[in-house]
Amino acid sequence: MSQNNTSRHVSAAALALALGAALTVAASPVMAADAAKEKCYGVAMKGKNDCKAGAGTSCAGTSVRDYQGNAWNYVPAGTCEKTASPTSATGMGQLKEFKEKKA
Amino acid sequence: MSVATFAAALLNPAAPCPSGLVTWNGSDAAQRFGVYRNNVTVSLIEALADSFPIVQQLVGDAFFRAMAGEFARQSPPTSPVLAWYGDAFADFVAAFPPVAGVPYLADVARLEYARVLAFHAADADPVPVAEIAACLNDADALPALRLQLHPSLQVIDSPFAITSLWGAHQGSGDLADIDPAQPECALVLRHGLSVEVMAVPAAAGRFIDALQAGASLGDAVQQASDGDTHFDPTPVLGLLISRELLIGLGRKNQQQGEKS
Repeated sequence: MSQNNTSRHVSAAALALALGAALTVAASPVMAADAAKEKCYGVAMKGKNDCKAGAGTSCAGTSVRDYQGNAWNYVPAGTCEKTASPTSATGMGQLKEFKEKKA
Repeated sequence: MSVATFAAALLNPAAPCPSGLVTWNGSDAAQRFGVYRNNVTVSLIEALADSFPIVQQLVGDAFFRAMAGEFARQSPPTSPVLAWYGDAFADFVAAFPPVAGVPYLADVARLEYARVLAFHAADADPVPVAEIAACLNDADALPALRLQLHPSLQVIDSPFAITSLWGAHQGSGDLADIDPAQPECALVLRHGLSVEVMAVPAAAGRFIDALQAGASLGDAVQQASDGDTHFDPTPVLGLLISRELLIGLGRKNQQQGEKS
C-alpha cells in the first residue's frame, strides 16, 4: 500500500529508521520484563503489595501492615525465600500466604 | 432539617448543630454531632495525605493538614470512590495564597495525582513486538500510522523541576542539588503493576500529547519538532515499546480501536 504524503515534512524513511532503532533500544528491557517472576508473601511494605491482601481489602497497594503475611509482591524467581520477612516463621518470604508471627 | 442542611453543617465547624437530631440514649446531640463532624473532616484529610505524600513532606504535616482541611470544606468528595478524591486539589493549591512562595507545589500535586490515576487505570494488552516490527515492511504507511497508548500514560509539562523534587523524596538525588526553577516534563505510567515517574525532553512530551490527541505518527513527530528541530523520536518510541505502552496500531482513516 502506498500513500500520498506530499504535505508531510516527516519522511517515511526517517520514521522507519526511528522505529527500527526504537525496537532495538526496546529489545533488551522487554526480555528483562519477561523474566520469570514468583509471588512472594510477607515481604511487601504496607500499601506496596502487588495484589491480594485478604478480607477487607481488594487488591494492589492495599496491604495495611509491613510484611503482611497474606499480601504478596512479584519478585524475580528464586529470590523470594532469600528475602527477609520479620513476620515469617522462617524469617524469609514464603511462596504461600502465611499467618504472621509478631515481628 | 434537610439532608442539605445536615451536609452543610458537617463541613462547617462554625455551623450550629442541625436542629431535630435525637440520640438513642438521650446524650447531648450537639456533642455527638461534633465528634462525627470531626471524623468526616479528618478522614478526608487522611485520604489526601495518602494521595499526596510528597506535597505533605514539602510543606510539613501541620501545614498540610490545615491546607487539606480547607480544601475538604470547600470541595467535599463528589464520588464515593475515595481514591479519586483530590482531582481538584492541585488547582486549589495553585490558588491557595499561603503557598504562593512554593510555586512548584501545585505541579508536584498534579504529578502525585497522576500516579493515583496511573495506579488505578485499566489494564490494556500491549501490541506484540513482532506486530510493531511488521510495520517496517510498509514504511510508506508509517506517517499515517496511529498509535494507541496505554490509559495509564500521562504527561505533565511543568516550568518546575517536579520529577527531580519528587525523586529526591524517593531516595534518588539530593534535594539540595535541585534547582526547582528548572523546567521538567514528567511522564507517569504503569508498567505491569508498578507506577513509574520519569523526566523526558519537552519535545517527547509534546509527541505523546499529539498521539493522545489522535495525531498520526508523522503529524506527532512534526508537532514535537516544531519547538525542537533536533527532536528524534527514537528514544521515546523505544520507551513506549519497552514499557508496553503501545496498545493499538491503526491506519489514519480507521477507528482507533475498540478501547478508545
